[in-house]
Amino acid sequence: MEFHFDLENPLPTSTDNFPLLFHTETDHMPSKAYLQTLSNLSTRHQILSLILHFSHNFDPFSSYLAINYMDRFLSTQSIPDGKPWIFKLVAISCISLALKMMRKTEFSVSDFQDCGVILDSLSLERMEMLILGALKWRMRSINPFSFIKFFISFFEFKDQISTQALKDKATELIFKAHNDIKLLQFKPSIIAASALLCAADELFPVQLPFFRNSISTCEYVNKENLFYCYNAMQEVAAIDGYESVLNAASSSCTPTNVLDVQCFNSSTSENGEIRDLKRRKLGDLAN
Amino acid sequence: MDKYEKLEKVGEGTYGKVYKAKEKATGQVVALKKTRLEMDEEGVPPTALREVSLLQMLSQSIYVVRLLCVEHVDNKNGKPLLYLVFEYLDTDLKKFIDSHRKGPNPRPLPPQLIQSFLYQLCKGVSHCHSHGVLHRDLKPQNLLLDKDKGILKIADLGLGRAFTVPLKSYTHEIVTLWYRAPEVLLGSTRYSTAVDMWSVGCIFAEMVRRQALFPGDSEFQQLLHIFRLLGTPTEKNWPGVSSLPDWHVYPQWEPQNLARAVPSLGPDGVDLLSKMLKYDPADRISAKAALDHPYFDSLDKSQF
Repeated sequence: MEFHFDLENPLPTSTDNFPLLFHTETDHMPSKAYLQTLSNLSTRHQILSLILHFSHNFDPFSSYLAINYMDRFLSTQSIPDGKPWIFKLVAISCISLALKMMRKTEFSVSDFQDCGVILDSLSLERMEMLILGALKWRMRSINPFSFIKFFISFFEFKDQISTQALKDKATELIFKAHNDIKLLQFKPSIIAASALLCAADELFPVQLPFFRNSISTCEYVNKENLFYCYNAMQEVAAIDGYESVLNAASSSCTPTNVLDVQCFNSSTSENGEIRDLKRRKLGDLAN
Repeated sequence: MDKYEKLEKVGEGTYGKVYKAKEKATGQVVALKKTRLEMDEEGVPPTALREVSLLQMLSQSIYVVRLLCVEHVDNKNGKPLLYLVFEYLDTDLKKFIDSHRKGPNPRPLPPQLIQSFLYQLCKGVSHCHSHGVLHRDLKPQNLLLDKDKGILKIADLGLGRAFTVPLKSYTHEIVTLWYRAPEVLLGSTRYSTAVDMWSVGCIFAEMVRRQALFPGDSEFQQLLHIFRLLGTPTEKNWPGVSSLPDWHVYPQWEPQNLARAVPSLGPDGVDLLSKMLKYDPADRISAKAALDHPYFDSLDKSQF
């Protein structure tokens, strides 16, 4: 099928149009009000766990996209609590939409049946249409992965191996950061830049100051936001959260178990020392 | 669809029938396009999802007809259908040119208006191309006008138009013959953005002449129309032309003076037109580059 969606290249062509992506990325973020409403947290937590659970057989980019849809959907709709089947329906509809956008081969609703969910196609269709309407059919989400190629050019690596290592590490961090509510407020481009810097801090610490200065000179980057996002990302990097959530999600097929998993680990007290250390390291970025 | 009152059928789009309709609650007049995209067992069909989300992205430009929303309707058999709701504009460039050629008051289009319409067309085409989308069926009927405001918008960006350069190949049964690029007529299946720029050139000339530049009624006749004006292409001005699938031995014509085909157009305009009608797609001017052409120097671009 033509023009399936690729998170790294949201436009259906290989020609890079980064100014356009920077210009429109905020259209693909959850609203500020959503991030400030505490009652969303429990809903988000539960649906996010369900998405990770139901999509563990698909590639992680599908889960990522589904979670992006979920956050943007919850920005516009409040879902009545105490109706777990609605949460399941939202989770599966988000996954279904993500898979349809991304995959060349069609998936089937029956993929979900073995997880104990009985889904009628009418409910799925209605929920999909509700989500599409809420997202104004903006399904080609501009996301952090869309900016990796742009920012990686600032590192000026000569060899493919370093580039790939940095990209892989940053990708891992972006996946991890998606579960953390604190990072939702940052633009996708800032998350991408921060993830690359965190990855560089681990892989190429000596060159970090050069990379940092280089990215800070980019006209699209707000230095202050980069500073805060980088710090938040360092905290995420220090936690083993994402994998344990994924493991827990895939180890059981019973959704109720998954709901107990702590998946957006916002408690960082045990990592306070690491955080402070990292924060000092990047202290001059905001100046 | 109770929200809308259908007023009249206004045409056949790429998707199917197009209706002029009024939204009952607001009185807003819209264009309703019924899609052929039926829902299936698995919810919203993936093709509809990918293509409509692409249309949505493109319709952010003021030079592209705005997709207002997507409605989901059950038809008589209880089968759900998707309707695309677009902003409605009351005329198109074909009707506009016709009204200047025939009727009670035949007259040329004002040169400033041609300049402004062409600029907006290049803006819109550049927007589509920057998003990785080819139109492939640009023609005066597909360019809607707001006469009072002097605004031109590209319409009927159909399904299945996204492309990846240069790997994908496409079937070539798409463009209305008159605006069809020579590489398409000669059977090339590797399209690029240049196919749209050829159409833009033909539309530019048609605004000046008030009649089509190359009105062929078959693929062969279409090529002969082009060759008679621009000369039969050679390996020299179009490397690889004789290896295209549908290349034959054609009568040898010498290029004519293009300015004679568009007598009222000044030298800058003729220069831009000649760059849009280059044989070799690689030499043809891009929409983005066309916006910087001296022909537009006298245009007040602050209004765009």
